[in-house]
Amino acid sequence: MTHIDQVPTPGAPLPVEIGVTPGAKRTNPFAQVFDELVRFAQSRSLFMLHYCTGCGAVELPPAMTARFDMERLGIQPMVSPRQADILLITGYVSVKTLKRVILTYEQMNSPKYVIGICSCTVNGGMYWQSYATAKKLNDYMPVDIYIAGCMPRPEAVIEGLRGLIENIRNGRADAWKDYYRRYDHYLGNQQRLFGADWQTPTDVIAEARHYDLFGPATLGAHTALLEQHQRPLEALAMRIEIPELMRRRSRADQGGTAQ
Amino acid sequence: MTNDLTTWLDNLLAELDGISVRRTSRRRLRVEVASDALPALLELLRGRASFVHLSAISCVDWIDAGQFELVYHCWSYETQSLVSVHTRIPREPGVYISVYDIYTPAAFFERDIHEMFGVWFEGSPDLSKFILTEWDGPPPMRKDFDSEAWVNQHFDWQDYHPDWLKDLEARGGGIAVPPDEQRFSRRTVDET
Repeated sequence: MTHIDQVPTPGAPLPVEIGVTPGAKRTNPFAQVFDELVRFAQSRSLFMLHYCTGCGAVELPPAMTARFDMERLGIQPMVSPRQADILLITGYVSVKTLKRVILTYEQMNSPKYVIGICSCTVNGGMYWQSYATAKKLNDYMPVDIYIAGCMPRPEAVIEGLRGLIENIRNGRADAWKDYYRRYDHYLGNQQRLFGADWQTPTDVIAEARHYDLFGPATLGAHTALLEQHQRPLEALAMRIEIPELMRRRSRADQGGTAQ
Repeated sequence: MTNDLTTWLDNLLAELDGISVRRTSRRRLRVEVASDALPALLELLRGRASFVHLSAISCVDWIDAGQFELVYHCWSYETQSLVSVHTRIPREPGVYISVYDIYTPAAFFERDIHEMFGVWFEGSPDLSKFILTEWDGPPPMRKDFDSEAWVNQHFDWQDYHPDWLKDLEARGGGIAVPPDEQRFSRRTVDET
């Protein structure tokens, strides 16, 4: 794989082949064994961040706890997006929530998988007429598995998770790469909802280069619009404002000057 | 004691001109009042009749009559009863006076009604965006707002036979949606 330093113009043919084609095996037999081992390990140890937006969250406690026991598949809940592998979205995503979901998704480390539970994430569900809920989750981020139903029973949830595990083992669960390869498409849909000045703290384009996933559709009209509006992120100043501490410190300073 | 107070309140309100009072149940009283007299009535209810709790302001859009109906729900802890004060204001320009000086929580409800119905309340402390922070369309709870047209304009629908569903359909899965219930992306409402 060749690293790309220069940004190709959108639409122009790329000088190099990007990454490994999905599902393709490497020629070195030892590498194949190693890849399979890695994929097996990945599929059997998944931390799940569940973003419970709607009623589908009700089905998760039985799926997680003793009755259906997700943990026997190696899936555990995780508290922070930075340590999670799966982003599980249970139910309708309002436009306001969608912003947070995208921020959460972009904070996760690759490889990352998105599961949409309930009909609402598939096509708006019973909120199909609602002006305030997003309809297709996969317009805004790549989704690996949809579990349809209103609401799906825990059996269906487990079945969906097993499907994801199977896809990871086969090397087919690479929807997250699509976010980098076609970032312009996803950003365009996000801008359509949130307006032209929408920006996230994550530099997705730089990450696409980092992962060697920079493709001809990574940049486009929408990323150009983003660059126009983008404000550079600045680190927050470190400040401690504890009154007691400040008083003690100032007292110590005065004592120091007097001596 | 409680019954005494409610009878007293009935008698008092019956004395006032220009309002119509109807007792809908033992604990509920429906009062209809002209829009210019409403602040005075609320002042009276709060100051003299122990209705200190404004539990909600609701709004109804009577589009055919060209009016907004505002309902102020006032609760008294002493008489354990609710007075709903109904008033109507013209839909255009949809401007009314705030009762923030009588009931402080009114600021919250007025901001909500302003967002959902576009009614402007003179003197309300803050009528900026509230729940729909990403919203730039017309006030969505108005009757003339067509939610379905808005949705068709701003969102896409899932395809009915996408490639990824073909595996499932081959295995006997998939979905069956009657043709008249199918929805397609960026379809204009006029076409149907």
